[in-house]
Amino acid sequence: MSGDVERKLDTLQAIELAEGVEVRLRIAGPLLRGGALLLDVVIQGVAVSLLSLLVGLAVGWVAGGAMGWGFVQLLWFVSSWWYPVFFEAGKWGATPGKKAFGLRVVQVSGSPITVGQSILRNFLRVADGMPFMIGYGVAGLIPTFGIGLVTMLATSRFQRLGDLAARTVVIYDRVASEPLAPVPPALESVPPGVALRPEEIRAVGAYRDRAGLWSEGRRVEIGDHARELTGATGAAGVSRLMGMARWLQERK
Amino acid sequence: MRESDFEQVRVQAWQEFDQLVTAVEKRQTPPGSHELPRRFREVCADLALATHRMYRGATVDRLNALVIRGYKLLYRRRRHAAEGLVRFVADTFPAAVRADARLFWLCNGVFWLPLFLMLGMAWIELDWVQAILGPQGMASMEQMYGKDSDSLAAMRDEFGSNFAMFGHYIRNNIGIDFKIFASGIVAGLGTMFYLIYNGLAIGAAAGYVSYAGNPTSFWTFVVGHSSFELIGMVISGMAGMKLGLAVLRPGRMTRSKAIGEAAKGALPLILGAAGMTAIAAVIEGFWSAQDFPHAVKYVFGGTMWALHFAYFGLLGRRAG
Repeated sequence: MSGDVERKLDTLQAIELAEGVEVRLRIAGPLLRGGALLLDVVIQGVAVSLLSLLVGLAVGWVAGGAMGWGFVQLLWFVSSWWYPVFFEAGKWGATPGKKAFGLRVVQVSGSPITVGQSILRNFLRVADGMPFMIGYGVAGLIPTFGIGLVTMLATSRFQRLGDLAARTVVIYDRVASEPLAPVPPALESVPPGVALRPEEIRAVGAYRDRAGLWSEGRRVEIGDHARELTGATGAAGVSRLMGMARWLQERK
Repeated sequence: MRESDFEQVRVQAWQEFDQLVTAVEKRQTPPGSHELPRRFREVCADLALATHRMYRGATVDRLNALVIRGYKLLYRRRRHAAEGLVRFVADTFPAAVRADARLFWLCNGVFWLPLFLMLGMAWIELDWVQAILGPQGMASMEQMYGKDSDSLAAMRDEFGSNFAMFGHYIRNNIGIDFKIFASGIVAGLGTMFYLIYNGLAIGAAAGYVSYAGNPTSFWTFVVGHSSFELIGMVISGMAGMKLGLAVLRPGRMTRSKAIGEAAKGALPLILGAAGMTAIAAVIEGFWSAQDFPHAVKYVFGGTMWALHFAYFGLLGRRAG
């Protein structure tokens, strides 16, 4: 059950903290991060356009058009290179786009990232953006993020090149807890015939905690997968499984 | 201890910790916030116990979330910007350049050889220079540094145009530095390309103006900021090549680990290079086009070059 393949596929990564305890972080995949990126691009575009219009015009009014144009250039520079660095190194640990999608950037060790790491991962976005599509007019070179996507899929923690260089990962800031609807405990507790592994104990507990969400047929269907453990199928299997869940919870 | 007993005993502590963390997350300082580290360690111990005793997923998940939130708060760093900046300029940056002296000379060669090649080619075979610049490039060089074009100071007559050029140089030139760095991760190819390309283009422009334009107006313009800008470009090339070499030759580490190590070493280089290019933009925007006597400009530019040799030659030496 907990083979090598499953561990590599699982997006829940166990990370050991200095306090000697393991926490589990849910790593975010390319689809969500792509969405966050698009949102950031929109936010940056709108913010820079508005600021350009307001500040550029105001400065241009007071001090001449050339001055205003200089400000617009500086705005573009700050927005394209330093916007993500600023937000990810800050208290949020995420750009506004990532924040909206519930994501956060952390070190591989789970702690908040440093300014240096933020600079590395965001400057290297240029490399992750390759190959570029040739666009028209304002959108001169459009990054396709081909390299970034390939590297994300090739690494077990969805890291693009910038993440590898800065040793960071993008995680879900708060993992939504699974909906719980435990059914009333079984009448008798049944000791399982064999010693169970931790993840198996967890699975039996989760079965009991979530059974209230399922119809009778669905409970039987899932319970049948554990027939080697319960030695029964159908409703009998379900009640034995519930009995084991009670036994596991009550054991010392 | 049964799971329910465990929860009953500890649940109040968890709730208090949760309230404390929530308050601190909102930038408040609730009473008892100095107890946060101790409470954090307790919750850590609870999580370890709950995991070890294989308690229900819900309990473990709740503790897991609490520990992550506490960790995020406690391991936030405070920064001392001013002190860090002084140390960076006086030691970290020059030391990082010295530490990779061979890479520094390699990148210098990759940049300066094409530059001087093109500069010399202007006298031997002008076709080469023309091929590099193209008709548009030649036209713009003619316009700026042609034999009978206005002086640069006259072109900057409009109020604020110095600032406009400064903004342009910041965006364009520092952007180039960052691209030189980032494209190094493709086995160093991107960095090499940008260095050679810029060497060729700058050399061709200088050669063309020296041969066919008004060299004095060109050299008096560039001499002031050239040291900052060109050495900055070479150093961002170093940063890029560090990444590229880590991909090509990871040594006894895995490639991803080698990239991480190289990036750490490249960070001071690229930041220093960006700083130098920013200084270059200030000089280029507000000094280089001013109508000062030529001698003043040459002396200023020469002093800047000499300061660079002194800076990288003398600072950042490690004992032993």
